[in-house]
Amino acid sequence: MSFRTFILCLSASFGVAWLAIVIVPYFKMRMLEPVAVEDGDGTNAVYIPKRAGRIADGAEVYAANGCYQCHSQLIRPTYAGNDMFRPDWGGIAGDEDRGDTRRETNAFDFQGEKFAPIGVSRLGTDLSNLGRRVEAIYAKGGDPKKWLYAHLYNPRWRPERRESTCPSFRFLFDVVEVKGNPSEDGLDFPVNEGMEIVPKPEARALVSYLLSLKKDQPVPSSLNFAPPTAAATAAP
Amino acid sequence: MSSEVSQNLEQDAVLRASIDRSLRHPVMFFLTSGAAWLAVSIILGVISSAKVHSPGFLDGCGWLTYGRTQAAHVNALIYGWGFQAAFGVIVWMLSRLSRQECRASGIILTAGHVWNFGVSIGILGILAGYGTGMPWMEFPSFCWPVLLLSYFAIVVWSLVQFKVRPEGHVYISQWYLMAAMIWFPWVFITANVLLHVIPGNPVMAAGINAWYKSSLIFLFFTPVALGTAFYLVPKVSGRPIFSYSLAQFGFWALAVIMPWAGMQKLTGAPIPYFIPYLGAAATIMFFVPAFSAAVNILRTAIADPELVNHSPTLRFTMAGVIGLIVMAVAAVFLNIPGKTLEFTQFSMSGYGFEILAIYGFFSFVMFGAIYFIVPRVTRREWLSRRLIKWHFFLSVYGIVFIAVIAIFGGVQQGIGQEAFDQPWSEAAQRAFPYAVFITFVWFFIMLSNVFFFLHLTVMWLRLGRRSTHPTLLVSGHHGSPHGEDGDIDDAGSIAASAH
Repeated sequence: MSFRTFILCLSASFGVAWLAIVIVPYFKMRMLEPVAVEDGDGTNAVYIPKRAGRIADGAEVYAANGCYQCHSQLIRPTYAGNDMFRPDWGGIAGDEDRGDTRRETNAFDFQGEKFAPIGVSRLGTDLSNLGRRVEAIYAKGGDPKKWLYAHLYNPRWRPERRESTCPSFRFLFDVVEVKGNPSEDGLDFPVNEGMEIVPKPEARALVSYLLSLKKDQPVPSSLNFAPPTAAATAAP
Repeated sequence: MSSEVSQNLEQDAVLRASIDRSLRHPVMFFLTSGAAWLAVSIILGVISSAKVHSPGFLDGCGWLTYGRTQAAHVNALIYGWGFQAAFGVIVWMLSRLSRQECRASGIILTAGHVWNFGVSIGILGILAGYGTGMPWMEFPSFCWPVLLLSYFAIVVWSLVQFKVRPEGHVYISQWYLMAAMIWFPWVFITANVLLHVIPGNPVMAAGINAWYKSSLIFLFFTPVALGTAFYLVPKVSGRPIFSYSLAQFGFWALAVIMPWAGMQKLTGAPIPYFIPYLGAAATIMFFVPAFSAAVNILRTAIADPELVNHSPTLRFTMAGVIGLIVMAVAAVFLNIPGKTLEFTQFSMSGYGFEILAIYGFFSFVMFGAIYFIVPRVTRREWLSRRLIKWHFFLSVYGIVFIAVIAIFGGVQQGIGQEAFDQPWSEAAQRAFPYAVFITFVWFFIMLSNVFFFLHLTVMWLRLGRRSTHPTLLVSGHHGSPHGEDGDIDDAGSIAASAH
């Protein structure tokens, strides 16, 4: 076999796979085709995923501190895993207003991010719906931002989470002198008289990003694989 | 006739010695700085794995938070140790196989320093909080062109040497090494350009990242290690490889199957449905190229089990080949869609498998190669049999723990994750013992590499034994098969022919 044939065979065997699973899917998915929403009155509305918060810079803090090493962001369909069955992962099983809001992750869900932090391992929980979970369950009736700040500062602070192995992100907070009124984002942890613990800009961006993780908005039926009964109760 | 043969032998020995001399500085630089990065990676590995089960350890400092040390640990292992060991071996072996002195050792050495600079900046960038968050590509995005350019400056000379080599048979090792040298930049450029330069759908970007990880393992580290093993085993044992056509079959099986692997990590993610299944199928089929190569190498070596036991090179290489078999079994076991894949997709078996591939297989073969190459390029023999033995046994203990984590730990943890009617803390508790295991792994490997690094540094300083005999792991002082020992620097052509 000559060197030329060798290179040719090598390029062919690699190139086919390279085109089929890397190049073509990547460029086909660069511009996702809009998905129509059936709203019953005949207008041709298009599904626009909603997301609010400091997504781009929050995602950078999330990536730089390696949150993806222990937390995934993927609700797999039932053929690939049991994520959908957890009561608060894909949505909220008993949402007060909308019923069962659980659904799978879709291709629009990472809007505004450069790279989907699918995750390496699940030493911690899936964060696809962390924003919703904090608002509806963990910090119910309280301030979800404050709940997350306290959790990042000391993940083992609450008695029910004393066995958490999440690292503390104290380095994303500053201890500063209180000048005038105390900061509204100040943490309730003990600190010297006249001082307070406030989040740095990175922590603010991160918490804003985490609260934007609400991947349970209603989706058009072509993206929704939930059984019809669940979809009917979810309809407004 | 016989004088002609002996004259040829002498010319051969002189040629080999001059090739070794021409490459002494770049090869020793790659191997020692690779070993230093291995030490850095292991220390980071101990720190980060301790944090998994004891989150209070070195707590509250941004530079040492788990997410950063873990990323720095893996990247130091891959780009610091893995690639540099591979460079040292590729550059040396391809010079030997195309029977030419290296005329660019100065450029290779300089490029090697640039590569090291790129890796250092990358690791510091990760620890300082500028990581990109893409697994195995966490280096800040300005690093990859530096690495790419220095990569080309390092390996292009081997291609030139191959092009102008004296006519003759192309050996299977050359196939494997050349293929790895071509696949790597293709994969590296594709992944980095797509993810850093042409932003696309974020989920597909994650898919390409998963493909990149898998391709580095199967299309760079695997062929480099196999090419090395196919060189070392016949060389040390003095026997031709068991079946040459089986070797060719194994090579093309690797080339055809492995580019499809990797995206099973995204099973259930919103990318085209067929891709994760293709990835799972290709990863499972890794057993075809793996077993054909492993059987071939084992059959070649096993004809003389005593030699395998006595030669440090063969002992490490054979352990690496057994690591390859375990890795292939794990690849089948961990990736069956609908059976095990849902348990292992987000469990520590992924990390276990990667370490099994990089340490249990690739690094063992690289250690074998280092025990072979270093005495030849420095013209000094290894100082201590005991250091080599300790390096071997402690590494093997580390590997056994890794296999346990990859195969059992991941599945156990996955079973906990999938038990949706139990609280999440159940899954976390199932992972706990295996997290402790990972600390054990790095502890054993750290000990073993203390011995290795010390020994290599001594060799690098040319403080090895000035002996004409190879170092064999035999106890006692009974006679050597090579006759009476002599000083290599006085022995002239006799010494050269012993190599």
